[in-house]
Amino acid sequence: MFGSYIKIAIRNLLRFKVYSAINIAGLAIGMTCCILILLYIYNELSYDSFHEKADRIYRINTDLKFGDTELAIPVVSDMMGSLLKQDYPQVEEYTRIYNFGGKILVKKGSDFNVEQQVACADSTFFKVFTFPAISGQTDKILNEPNTVVITESIAKKYFGTIDAVGRTIETDRGVTFFKVVAVIKDMPENSHFRFNFLFPMANSGYNSWGNLVSMNFHTYLLFKEGTDYKEFEKKFEDYNDKYAMPYAKRFLQVKSREEFEKAGNKIEHSLISLTDIHLHSKRAQEISPTGTIEYVYIFSAIALFILLIACINFMNLTTARSANRAREVGIRKVLGTNRKSLIIQFLIESTLMAFIAVLLAVNIVDYVLPFFNDIAGKELQAGNLYSSSILVFLLLLPFIIGIIAGSYPAFFLSRFMPAEIIKGKLSSGSKSGGLRSALVVFQFAASIILITGTIIIYTQLNYIQNKNLGYQKNQILIINDSYSLGNNIDAFKNEMLNVSGVISGTISDYLPIPSERNNSAFFKEAGMVSESGLTMQRWIIDYDYFKTLGIELSEGRNFSQEFGTDSSAIILNQTAVKQLGYQNPIGQKIYTWVIGGRLVDYNIIGVVKDFHFESFRQDIGPLCFVPGGSDAVSSARSQYKSTGLTSFRINAASLSTILKEAKAKWKNMSASLPFSYRFLDESFNEFYKADQRVGTIALLFSALAIIVACLGLFGLATFLAEQKTKEIGVRKVLGASIPSIILMLSREFIKWIIIANIIAIPVAYYFMNKWLEEFAYRIEISWQVFVLAGCIALVIAILTVSFQAIKAATANPVESLRYE
Amino acid sequence: MIKIKSIEKYYSAGSLKTYVLRDISLDVREGEFISIMGPSGSGKSTILHILGMLDTPTAGEYYFFDEAVHNMKGKKLSELHKSYIGFVFQQYHLIDELTVYENLETPLLYQKIKGDERRGKVAEILDRFNIVAKKDLFPNQLSGGQQQLVAIARAIIANPKLILADEPTGNLHSEQGREIMDLLKKLNKQGTTIIQVTHSDEFAQYGSRIIKLKDGWIES
Repeated sequence: MFGSYIKIAIRNLLRFKVYSAINIAGLAIGMTCCILILLYIYNELSYDSFHEKADRIYRINTDLKFGDTELAIPVVSDMMGSLLKQDYPQVEEYTRIYNFGGKILVKKGSDFNVEQQVACADSTFFKVFTFPAISGQTDKILNEPNTVVITESIAKKYFGTIDAVGRTIETDRGVTFFKVVAVIKDMPENSHFRFNFLFPMANSGYNSWGNLVSMNFHTYLLFKEGTDYKEFEKKFEDYNDKYAMPYAKRFLQVKSREEFEKAGNKIEHSLISLTDIHLHSKRAQEISPTGTIEYVYIFSAIALFILLIACINFMNLTTARSANRAREVGIRKVLGTNRKSLIIQFLIESTLMAFIAVLLAVNIVDYVLPFFNDIAGKELQAGNLYSSSILVFLLLLPFIIGIIAGSYPAFFLSRFMPAEIIKGKLSSGSKSGGLRSALVVFQFAASIILITGTIIIYTQLNYIQNKNLGYQKNQILIINDSYSLGNNIDAFKNEMLNVSGVISGTISDYLPIPSERNNSAFFKEAGMVSESGLTMQRWIIDYDYFKTLGIELSEGRNFSQEFGTDSSAIILNQTAVKQLGYQNPIGQKIYTWVIGGRLVDYNIIGVVKDFHFESFRQDIGPLCFVPGGSDAVSSARSQYKSTGLTSFRINAASLSTILKEAKAKWKNMSASLPFSYRFLDESFNEFYKADQRVGTIALLFSALAIIVACLGLFGLATFLAEQKTKEIGVRKVLGASIPSIILMLSREFIKWIIIANIIAIPVAYYFMNKWLEEFAYRIEISWQVFVLAGCIALVIAILTVSFQAIKAATANPVESLRYE
Repeated sequence: MIKIKSIEKYYSAGSLKTYVLRDISLDVREGEFISIMGPSGSGKSTILHILGMLDTPTAGEYYFFDEAVHNMKGKKLSELHKSYIGFVFQQYHLIDELTVYENLETPLLYQKIKGDERRGKVAEILDRFNIVAKKDLFPNQLSGGQQQLVAIARAIIANPKLILADEPTGNLHSEQGREIMDLLKKLNKQGTTIIQVTHSDEFAQYGSRIIKLKDGWIES
């Protein structure tokens, strides 16, 4: 019996090739999207779960409020880990990572290479985390200074072999030679940090050891089995009372924690589970950019949408063919088949199609995964498809889809009464029309939501590209790592200014592009009362910075060589002036402390107009500039060792000569160091890389959703045309013209799409508003967006339907009214 | 009114021609009532469809009020068809989704007759056929005879010169059939030309002329 079901199913597939092809293609597209998104979500959710003790590892977060400034950071003081371990038996172990800007130069042959994934770590790093060693041992390393742990691929890159233990690497850090003590496997792609070099803390160059309010260390706690970490979080208050507050009092002239908190300040700590960091942490200064759980939700919803659309599609296409199958059903019933076995037969057919579609989809995924990875910025492996949980899902999928998609047609078709069918009277199907139109409305509402989302994302991205930033981002060439030129940096800049096409140049540590930045506290009063203070970024710049970037002064003057006193001068942006509350800022003083608790004062000599130095997600914050030139760059270098940028405003027409000259001059002055460059506008775009990705993905999937929905609509139009054959015939006999028949057939679809629009608009508005709310600077959602999305859906739908409508309208009525 | 000359209709399947009509010539004057008879497959319905401009002959000439229908295309044809011809079918072919009133209104809509005039015409025909009480019912709420009544009402509502009836009584029992035939006779007396196809000798007698078809040929 079962064998005969399969046989009939296969024959039916082969007999109606076009129908089967459309049906399977629609399902396969839907499943491909679903599988891709599943791989993506699986990967996002798997972050850091490969550590053996992952469930017991937590990282300490810090929330600071100081005057007007709030900071949510993933770092704590250098002491916190060891103090917690000393005071609380629940803490089995702790380990710290010091991420010093993440860039060193490593010598290979006679040249230096820039290496990015670099950090200092405690010797307990390998006790807490699970990174297997290939050679060397990991239990006692990172204790001794001047040693290094490297990964497999770095060992291959520098030594040509993974047997690198005992060999040395040469770097530009304080001590130049480091002995390789272990080679570990490359850190997995789904780790929230992926270091290639780990140095001992002794080589960190950190100079505030023991400072309990200086937060610079990513600190991970390994708890003993059975520790309630929620309970443990409460102990941070005791910790602060015992250690941090006494220390803070010395600096801030507060007598007690109550007074400190009354003034609106706070220091708080909390824990985040290691496996939650990637998706749930929204803190600045994460070691590498994190994902967001919202995108996981959005993508899950999209996957579900597309799969549902594909299922609906399948249902509609199958019912569309009901007239063809009705005779078969009738005859079977007359021959004594019961309804149950008919239902089983139809379910087997749909499961078989779903099975073919899954096979197809897995193959398509294999092909398109590289493109998807490119768009999503991921390194997903098709091999993950065969990991147990996904494989089980893939095996179940045909049955789930087969049953979901097949059940409606199965019940619909098996309901036919044999007598009616044999007599040639087919139930008009209008009884189930309500459900069917609801399905189509749902399909199109989903598509319209996706289209609207895509339009809004692109409009916002376009707005960002074209908004006045307060500086000129185009035609600025940045020479990277120019600190490595050392004392030659000024000479380099001046020589470059002689090259034709170079308009002006500046040496600075920061530009309005994504980078690690530090905040310092500033005060209006010398007393350092926290109410008069705020924390802001301090950028070290030279005389030509504003000119090169096109930033305008609103008051006062720029730094100038003509004023000898400019070493104590400072320029603020308008936000800083407003937040500190200066009426006439020019000539006033502003105070800060430097390392060691020494008080320093600056004279305000100018105010620049606000410009966007952070992403549009944030309001423009306070910012100040102090003069530096080459000295500032070298002092910046001793602190962060990562910045030092020379930027030139250039005439793009002479770009190739400028680059040639720059490279030649660079090689003259620093033969062994790598020359690299980028453009300010490209770097600016990195602020929005994630958003651009989401935009591309949304575009892709809404296109696919529309395609699948149209396949369904096509099927439905076929169905409707078939249903109305008689009516069309009668109307034509009564004198209906072809256009009026086409209109009649399309009117229903147009009505559905209008209803779909009405459903889609509030949903899309709600979600896209949520997305936009993340931007401090954003577009307003205008009604035109909805009109546009609605029109796109309508036009596509009409094009799809019209083929069937025209075919039905031009058919000869004699055929449909024949009764013999 | 109608003149057809040597009409032929055949379907080609490869080199094989299957003839439905062969060398049919016929003159119909205005005011005639013609009954076409013949066994199944003799081509009765096909000739009716050709006369009604729903189908085209493979060969031959067709003049309708001296206009050459066989040379006409699309719009002109449909214009001629909808202003001069009314159809009645064996299966009534009312539109299931529309009420009696709406069914009657449909041909007028296609002739772009204005609202007031349309309402007037529908009201008049409802009255004339004595079906005012049934105007809001759907076809499946009526008996076969009542449905055919509505179908005839719909066929004549736009005052066609010609009614083509394809076995109008085929699905009715004889009492109902007689009523329908009486109605057609009455319409004929009022000046409408009628061509009907029928199997029944009794109902064929209502016609002023009987044409017998066999295997696509006119027998007599």
